[in-house]
Amino acid sequence: MSKSDMVIAGYSETPVVFKSGRSAYDFAGEALASLIEATGIEKDIIDGMSVTVPLSEASNPFFAVYMADALGISPTWLNYGGIGGCSATGGVARAMSAIRDGYCEVAVVLSADAPSTSWRANYGAFRGEFQDPVGVQGPPAMFGLLMNRYAHQYGLKDEALAKIATVQREHALLNDNALEKFKKPMTTADYMASRVVADPLRMLDSVMFCDGANAFLVMTQERAQQLGIKKTVRPAAYAELTNVNGNVACPDITETGFSHIGPKVFAKAGLKPSDISMFQPYDDFTIAVLMQFEDFGFCKRGEGSDFILANDISYKGNIPLNTGGGQISAGQPGLASGGLNLAEAVRQLFGEGGKRQVKAPKNALVTGIGVIPYGRNWGTSAAMILEA
Amino acid sequence: MNADVKPRTPPKPNVYVDTAPFWDAAQKRKLVIQYCRDAGKFQHYPRPVSIYTGKRNLEWREVSGKGVIYTYTTIRIPGPGLDGRLPLPAATIELDEGARFIANIIDTDPAKIKIGARVEVAWDRITDDFVYPAFKVIEG
Repeated sequence: MSKSDMVIAGYSETPVVFKSGRSAYDFAGEALASLIEATGIEKDIIDGMSVTVPLSEASNPFFAVYMADALGISPTWLNYGGIGGCSATGGVARAMSAIRDGYCEVAVVLSADAPSTSWRANYGAFRGEFQDPVGVQGPPAMFGLLMNRYAHQYGLKDEALAKIATVQREHALLNDNALEKFKKPMTTADYMASRVVADPLRMLDSVMFCDGANAFLVMTQERAQQLGIKKTVRPAAYAELTNVNGNVACPDITETGFSHIGPKVFAKAGLKPSDISMFQPYDDFTIAVLMQFEDFGFCKRGEGSDFILANDISYKGNIPLNTGGGQISAGQPGLASGGLNLAEAVRQLFGEGGKRQVKAPKNALVTGIGVIPYGRNWGTSAAMILEA
Repeated sequence: MNADVKPRTPPKPNVYVDTAPFWDAAQKRKLVIQYCRDAGKFQHYPRPVSIYTGKRNLEWREVSGKGVIYTYTTIRIPGPGLDGRLPLPAATIELDEGARFIANIIDTDPAKIKIGARVEVAWDRITDDFVYPAFKVIEG
């Protein structure tokens, strides 16, 4: 098949901060200014924009338009991405389509959120009647349910989850943008002693809501050359799936959207799991990372624990995992979360990984997860393969 | 019942679809859920259409209230309406009729809360005049 000529021609990321006292607009401004500085472009060549719905500004249905105004950008294509942690990779994919269709030439994919400062979201719908009164009010309880079911069907080793948590923590120690609070070493014993929040889920299996932003520049390779941009990466494949098994009342909840889209992105990129230089999966909880190793075919369903224990998942290893610490150890910047995993992939492929640089990476697999539905696993699954 | 448990606020029906039949039946200690007449299948939580056909040929039908624990957890973190209720057992129940519920497990020895355990609906009195569906483990 013919290769896409579309590229990510720049990225930026703010540090992750807890209770910054700042707004999503302010973080977005910081990310945009960094992106302009990093790429040397003039702001006014940006004619496309994808903005992620943030928890902190979700009560404003015109947030994306306000954002354009705040930043002084006049886009001819504007997308408002409401698929949570899939909105960054999904925004890049949608920007590529928009550029191909001629709606814009240079798009910025911008995710900024500050929920630890200001939470202005209300999920509404069925939750007030059928979910919240039960106490299953957020992702931890739903992931406790998922973990116990997974453990029942396949077996789940605490040591494997501990390895994900501790290796990602080691990576966060090498990441200047990681949350300050998490910049202390974590041992397996620390993990095992961590407080259980929704059995068997521990605090150290989980993310913490913080504030932050990231931005990506999307254009054709030709346009990047015209602009004198030297560093680019090519999104070789993208796929997403929302509400897997949506027409089934009693699905197997250990079957996620990734088991459907994993084979699709590998086929489209002409790659197999063993070809992947690094894995930057969406990591709201350690079990989601473990299940993604399975769903993308690094190992078979149910073998995730043993696979993690048998392989080197550090940045120096055979399958480097969330080399910036992931969200669990760098902090989750609200719904700008998916951009954290994507930014790390682009950074590594640009050779800007610093002390945690993966050696000569050819590609990266990045994923997103969006929202936790009623009694299932998660709402949207998205995956992108990037090539250097 | 734990003496520290404060009366909870009953959920408001009909916020997003017509759920009044569910809550009216619940107050008579009957469990009714949506049934798609075309597909011949149940669904829960209540939807604006059949998840099987996309049509609105739905009715409320009483179910046995019996099923099994599909999975479970114990909630240990605070939240609205959870004062005095922690640690709080919660489960995904698979009804014999083929639909799932997220519900609390009440009136049950915690050691008996296991995947595959048989359960039946139990009515959790959340205020003096409102019961909310929960489940309890039964033998066999």
